[in-house]
Amino acid sequence: CRASSDGKPAKFQPPAKPVIVDKQKQRVERRFLSPEFIPPRGRTDPLKYYMERKDMIQRRKVFNIPEFYVGSVLAVTTADPYANNKSNRFVGICIQRGGKGLGATFVLRNVIEGQGVEICYELYSPRIQAIEVLKLEKRLDDNLMYLRDALPEYSTFDMNMKPESHLDHEEIPVNKLQVRMKPKPWSKRWERPKYNIKGIKFELPESKMKEAQKWSQPWLEFDMLREYDTSKIEEQIWKEVNEELKK
Amino acid sequence: MMPIWTKSGKKHAVTLLKVQDCHVLRYISKEESGRKTAQLVVGGKNVSPFSKPESAHEIFKEAGVPRKQKISSFNVTDDAIIKPGTPLYAAHFRPGQFVDVTAKTIGKGFQGVMKRWGFKGQPASHGQTKTHRRPGAISTNKASKVYRGKKMPGKMGNIYRTTFGLKVWRVNTKHDIIYVHGCVPGHKNCLVKVRDSELPTCKESNKNPPFPTFFADGDEKLPEDLFDEEIFQFTEPSVTY
Repeated sequence: CRASSDGKPAKFQPPAKPVIVDKQKQRVERRFLSPEFIPPRGRTDPLKYYMERKDMIQRRKVFNIPEFYVGSVLAVTTADPYANNKSNRFVGICIQRGGKGLGATFVLRNVIEGQGVEICYELYSPRIQAIEVLKLEKRLDDNLMYLRDALPEYSTFDMNMKPESHLDHEEIPVNKLQVRMKPKPWSKRWERPKYNIKGIKFELPESKMKEAQKWSQPWLEFDMLREYDTSKIEEQIWKEVNEELKK
Repeated sequence: MMPIWTKSGKKHAVTLLKVQDCHVLRYISKEESGRKTAQLVVGGKNVSPFSKPESAHEIFKEAGVPRKQKISSFNVTDDAIIKPGTPLYAAHFRPGQFVDVTAKTIGKGFQGVMKRWGFKGQPASHGQTKTHRRPGAISTNKASKVYRGKKMPGKMGNIYRTTFGLKVWRVNTKHDIIYVHGCVPGHKNCLVKVRDSELPTCKESNKNPPFPTFFADGDEKLPEDLFDEEIFQFTEPSVTY
């Protein structure tokens, strides 16, 4: 102990309290609200969306619909009256999620024995017996319809693929794959700015890319009437859905 | 409109119709109306009383009911007469019944003959001079006049039309909603008149309705949701074959 200036023992100073930083709590809780819960902009009575949501939550209580994004690989087993075991299993990459409410759909694509196959499933159809996520990941775009014009290797997935595990708290990996395309003509002119595709490695000459920019509409992002802010609606619906599912 | 699935896995589309503050307003006897049956005047959806003169409020005051946006009359047999002022609920209809729905169609304004009547018009090229969507000839030489009712351009839509024989799949008694098969004339949130079906093939299914109507303060306690037998309810596990 140190001797103070006036000879008395120094006042005991306790050491600084240790600050416990809980890294688990620091990670912001990842919220995922399936896009079909968010009502579209329109003049429909919100009571209709409330009734649909009740039905959707009821179905989710009985049957688990996992979280998945466009670009994740899923395996879906449906009931089929004409199949051998009365059930049909299909594995594919999700290229599109469409529809709102009970009629929400997702399209799975795979190339089987050289033939590209796309199947559109309804999320809430009672014929679906199981949905498994084999690989949970996002891609650079919301709509992967361009895989139809890409080389078939980008759409082939093994039917007996093993599911990849994914930790609950980690962020979903974004696959920044740039896909190579078959030679033109394509089903749609994917180089045009209206599709806003980031996931294609365009090997077209510079002149073609510049000509495609002629169809750009730069005023669209500033159009205020097109803005649809869903943050508050999402919060309300998220609370509602979570409370109901916990019951 | 919403999708609905049956127990066999088939998908059908349904329209949701809300029964909003419906009250019986007046009873018109056979002699008064001059028809074969008596009539009951029913009003829907409450609306502010300040936009109409006092003379228009007489019917509502007699029944003791706020002013309604739409009133319509239903032909009723003598044993189904209801006292004016009773509220009507969605549970008046039960799943499995068939129903006719009347409403004003969406107004399209002044439309040409191709959209209004489905005429084929003329070709786009090969020498047509200024004639691509016109009606063409409107009568023959011998008639030397144009017949009454000739299909010509004019205001399209905004008229009353009925769809017959729609099945009721589900009734929600808490929010008073009727789930009716298929589509219904009119735009979203428009006023709609729902009657028991008059089609001869639907007479059997309409045998046991709540007669004369469903009374909320009566003895019958209904569950929140009434489903038809064939509907797949979401509380059941997935369909297997």
